[in-house]
Amino acid sequence: MPNAASSSAVAVWAILRKECRSEWRTRYGLNAAVLFAITSLTAVTFAAGRLPDRADLLAALLWITLLFAALASMSHAFVRETEGRTLLFLRLVASPTEIALGKLLFNVAFLVVVEAITVPLFLVLTGAPPVRWPPFLTVLGLGTLSLAASSTLVGAVIAQTRSRGALFAGVSLPLLLPVLASGVSGTRAQWDGMPVAADARLLAAYAVALVGVSLLLYDHLWED
Amino acid sequence: MIWRIGIFLWIAATMAVALLAAPLVPVLQETTRVLYFHIPSAWITVVALAWSMLNSVLYLWKREPERDHHAAAAAELGLLFCVAATVSGSIWAKSMWGSWWNWDPRETSIFFVLLIYGAYLALRASIEGEEKRARLSAVYSIVAFVAVPPLVFVVPRIYSTLHPDPIINASGKIDMDPMIRWCFFSMLVGFTFLFSWLQSLRVRVFRLERRLAT
Repeated sequence: MPNAASSSAVAVWAILRKECRSEWRTRYGLNAAVLFAITSLTAVTFAAGRLPDRADLLAALLWITLLFAALASMSHAFVRETEGRTLLFLRLVASPTEIALGKLLFNVAFLVVVEAITVPLFLVLTGAPPVRWPPFLTVLGLGTLSLAASSTLVGAVIAQTRSRGALFAGVSLPLLLPVLASGVSGTRAQWDGMPVAADARLLAAYAVALVGVSLLLYDHLWED
Repeated sequence: MIWRIGIFLWIAATMAVALLAAPLVPVLQETTRVLYFHIPSAWITVVALAWSMLNSVLYLWKREPERDHHAAAAAELGLLFCVAATVSGSIWAKSMWGSWWNWDPRETSIFFVLLIYGAYLALRASIEGEEKRARLSAVYSIVAFVAVPPLVFVVPRIYSTLHPDPIINASGKIDMDPMIRWCFFSMLVGFTFLFSWLQSLRVRVFRLERRLAT
C-alpha cells in the first residue's frame, strides 16, 4: 500500500510539473488571466473610484474581480488537453484521479499567482483600509481552494461538451455562488473588525466537500 | 388513473380544511395559509434533488439508462418545485416584509439552488451522445447536491434571517397548533404523492423518447 500511495504521489507530482512546464513554455493561459484580471480590476476601480470607507463594497468588488479572473481562465487545464488531443496519452500514464489531482494543484498555484498580482493592486487602487492579514488570508485561501476544486471538476466535464467557453462560466458560477457569498461576508467582517470564524468554517466545509466528492467522481469522467 | 384522482381529492380536501377551518398563527395572521403550499414545495425540492443525486450515484454504479431518466426527471421537478417555493415565498415576503425580494439568507440560498440546477439542465442539453450525457450529468448532479444541504439547512441558521421558522417553530420541535399541524402534514403527504406521480410521468416520457431514438 505505501508503494501504491507513493507511486501515485509521484504521478501527481509529475502531472503538476508537466502542467507548470507547459504553461511556462507558452504562458498564454497565465498572460491572458493576468491581463483579464488587471483589465477587469481597472474597469471596477475606474467605475467605482476610491472607496476607503466602504468595506462592504470593497469586499464585493474584490471577490467579483477574483471570480471573473478565475472563470475567464481556469477551464484551459482540461480544454487544452482536448484541443491538443493529448488527453489519451495522459491517461495512459496516470489514473484519472491522479490527473485530476495534479491539475487541481496546478489550478491552485495558478490562482495564487493571479491573486498575488491582483489583490495588492486592488488594495492600492481602491485605497482600501489596512487588512488584518491572518483572517484575510484564511478567507482568501479557502476561497481559492474552493474556486480551484470546482473549476477543475467543471473544466473536466466541460472539455467533453460542445460549447466549452460559454458553458464553463455558466455552469461554474452557480456552484461558486456559496463561495462568493461567504467570501464576501468574511472579507467584510475582517475589515469591520468582526470575527470571521463562521464564514471561514463554511468556506472550509464547502472546499473539503467539493474536493472530496470530486476525487470520488473523477474515475467516472472518461470511459470510452 | 385512480392514483391521480386520489391525489387530487386528497390535496383538495386538505386545502379546504386548511383554508376554512384551521386557525391562524398570531404574528403571521392571514399569511399563515401560505405554509400549506410553500413548505411542502420546499420539502419536495429537497426530496427531488436528493432523489436525483441518489439515482446519479446508482447510474455511475450500474450504468442503467433507467437511473439516468430518474435522475434527470427528478432534477427537472426539483427545479419546478423550487420555483414554486421561491414564488410563493416572494409573494409572502411582499405582504409580510413589504418587498418582493430583499436578499434575506433564505431567499439567497434558494436562489442559488435554482441557479445550480438551472446549470444542470444547460449542461445536460449541451452534451452529445446518450451514454456521455448520462455520465457527465450524473457527475454534475452529485457535485451540485453537495451545495444543497449547506444552502438549505446551514446558511439560514448561521446568518440572521427574518424567515419565520423561529416564530412558528420557536423550540426547535414542531410546535404548531394541532389543526395546523394535521393540515400541514397532510399537505406534505399529498405533495409527496404528487411528486411521485409527476416523476413517473416524466420518466415514462424519457423512456419513450429513448425508444423513438433507437
